[in-house]
Amino acid sequence: MQFDFKYKETWLHKLNPSFKLMTMVVLFLSVLFIHNINFMLNYTIVTLLLFLIFSGHPFKRVLLILLPFLFIFISSATSMIFFGKGDTTWFKWGLIHITEESFFRGIHLGLRALTFAGLGITFALTTRPVYLFYSLMQQMKLPPRYAYSFMAGLRLIPIMFEEFQTIRYAMKVRGVQHKRGVKGFYEKLRVYSIPMLSQSIRRAHRIAVAMEAKRFSQVKNRTFYYKISFSKFDLLFLLYFIVMLSAAYFLSKQFPYFPITDVRYE
Amino acid sequence: MNNKGLKLTDILVTIVIAIVFGIVYKLWTPVYYAVKPFGLHFDQLIYGMWFIAATVAFLIIRKPGVALIAEIAAASGEFIVGSEWGLEVLIYGVLQGLFAEFVFAAVRYKRYDILIASLAAIASAIASLLFDYYKGYLDDLVAWNLLLYIVARVVGSIAIAGVFAYYLVKALEATGVTNLVRPASKEDYDALDK
Repeated sequence: MQFDFKYKETWLHKLNPSFKLMTMVVLFLSVLFIHNINFMLNYTIVTLLLFLIFSGHPFKRVLLILLPFLFIFISSATSMIFFGKGDTTWFKWGLIHITEESFFRGIHLGLRALTFAGLGITFALTTRPVYLFYSLMQQMKLPPRYAYSFMAGLRLIPIMFEEFQTIRYAMKVRGVQHKRGVKGFYEKLRVYSIPMLSQSIRRAHRIAVAMEAKRFSQVKNRTFYYKISFSKFDLLFLLYFIVMLSAAYFLSKQFPYFPITDVRYE
Repeated sequence: MNNKGLKLTDILVTIVIAIVFGIVYKLWTPVYYAVKPFGLHFDQLIYGMWFIAATVAFLIIRKPGVALIAEIAAASGEFIVGSEWGLEVLIYGVLQGLFAEFVFAAVRYKRYDILIASLAAIASAIASLLFDYYKGYLDDLVAWNLLLYIVARVVGSIAIAGVFAYYLVKALEATGVTNLVRPASKEDYDALDK
């Protein structure tokens, strides 16, 4: 969801949003059945390539977006590396016990997290929320009252931030000082969250009454301002994954990086 | 009382609450990996924040389906703005919301106390653990470490999505805003008869 900085539109932007989402959900579930680290590594490369080349954002920004991925990779891998089951000990220190098996299993988990992150960020960067909800209404038959509620809700985000600023200024001008420590943190949480939540609910209620009066919840005979359909790019998207993942699978069988076929502990 | 499904008002209020928490969910990720010192599972203590939308929304609106929609909407909000966890959040969100919804449904949406909120939080924690089991090879962790992982997550869930959520809604009740969106209760009808 990008409002304020420029990017090029690529073929990924032209995909049918529902189709893109469903494909990615299938890919997500398929990853759960991959236990071969060689295939997993190739799989990760295939998804990250799509993001690196076709996101339409300048390369520098793409690298910046990749930075938190590193944390995700490390944080997903470490628990299993340090505390996983295994027999071939590499390193032992106190509670930490690194074995060959746990190490590769940890890396495998890190790669999984990277794949999910790659797919997710590709979707987020190449999909306009409005098109997504129009597409969900037209192709997935999502009831309009859900879709329009969500779109209206997204529009409230900037107002929420404005309100946050207002509360901050109001407290500043009155010279409110917060205590330090846990109690101060709780106090701060309270003075911000209560007014922000209550105002949001009031506003949402007012908008909803207006929307209902204007028949936004009507299902029958509804017409749509945006007509979302399928195109040749959807086929291309499907083919990209079929061809690339087949190649990834074949290569992992023919030229494995590691002599491991299943990272699970038997 | 007309209880046939949720009206647009209920849905919009649910979704707006969910979006507020969706932003919290997104901001929670850096917090989460900041408290992750080498896998001793301190991070699991704060994992419960990702279940809070379901309980808060239900405690405010008190209608069937609200918990599920809130958790899905919060997860989608987090997903659409580009979560580091990517697709994971969406799929976890659906299951977490569903499990919380089951708990509220089991008491026929008639109880709004701190116990039921905590039970819903535990249910969400179980949902997330189920996914972790398949996704993260949980059973391949050493036994003591696995136990620590589960206990930390459940305790954290109760504290954040159960107890904290309950008091948050209590404070909101004091502002009177909840009267806008709740269905009329039996006491309201009794008050009319007097």
